[in-house]
Amino acid sequence: MFGKPEWFTRRKYLGWGIQPKTWQGWVYIAVILIPIIGMQFIPQIDNNSRNAILIVWAVLLAIDIVDIMAHLKIDEREKMHEAIAERNALWAIVIVLAMGLSYRIAQSIMLTGKPQIDPVILSALFVGLGAKAATNIYLDRKD
Amino acid sequence: MRTRIAELRKQRGLTQEDLAQRVHVTRQTIISLEQNKYNPSLQLAANITRALKQKTIEDVFLLDGE
Repeated sequence: MFGKPEWFTRRKYLGWGIQPKTWQGWVYIAVILIPIIGMQFIPQIDNNSRNAILIVWAVLLAIDIVDIMAHLKIDEREKMHEAIAERNALWAIVIVLAMGLSYRIAQSIMLTGKPQIDPVILSALFVGLGAKAATNIYLDRKD
Repeated sequence: MRTRIAELRKQRGLTQEDLAQRVHVTRQTIISLEQNKYNPSLQLAANITRALKQKTIEDVFLLDGE
């Protein structure tokens, strides 16, 4: 769409997503940020219009970032490294979520006598389970 | 697995970057291959063999013990 994949690289050490690799990537960030920041200082724009512009901008930016990430060229070694790193990150997240869920249940039983399950944490675990199953079904059928 | 990539690449006067561009990988991947740290896919091994103008994959990649 707007940004080109060759301007960016995958974020490896500080989170997920992409980060600029070339000066064009930094210009892209500046071109996206400056109008939005500038808009905050224009008093003629009312709050509703400001929010609407911000939502449209955020949606366009998200679509563009997904498009850039989908078209980033990485070789097989990088793909393998990324897969291992993502797997390890996922396991860390799952362990923390499961521990948090268990702690909340134990705490609620001790305080109220009834188990209270955090629906957000439970949903996250089940959505992850579904994503894993779907991925394995797809990969088994693919090759 | 060991490789003769560095030897064959130098014979052909190619830099690591040249070879990386020819087989569509990063220079770091070529470095890892030359240091025998990474085992490539069959497709990448075939591409490297072709880029180095060798006849067979075994001319470039040697299984341990060979």
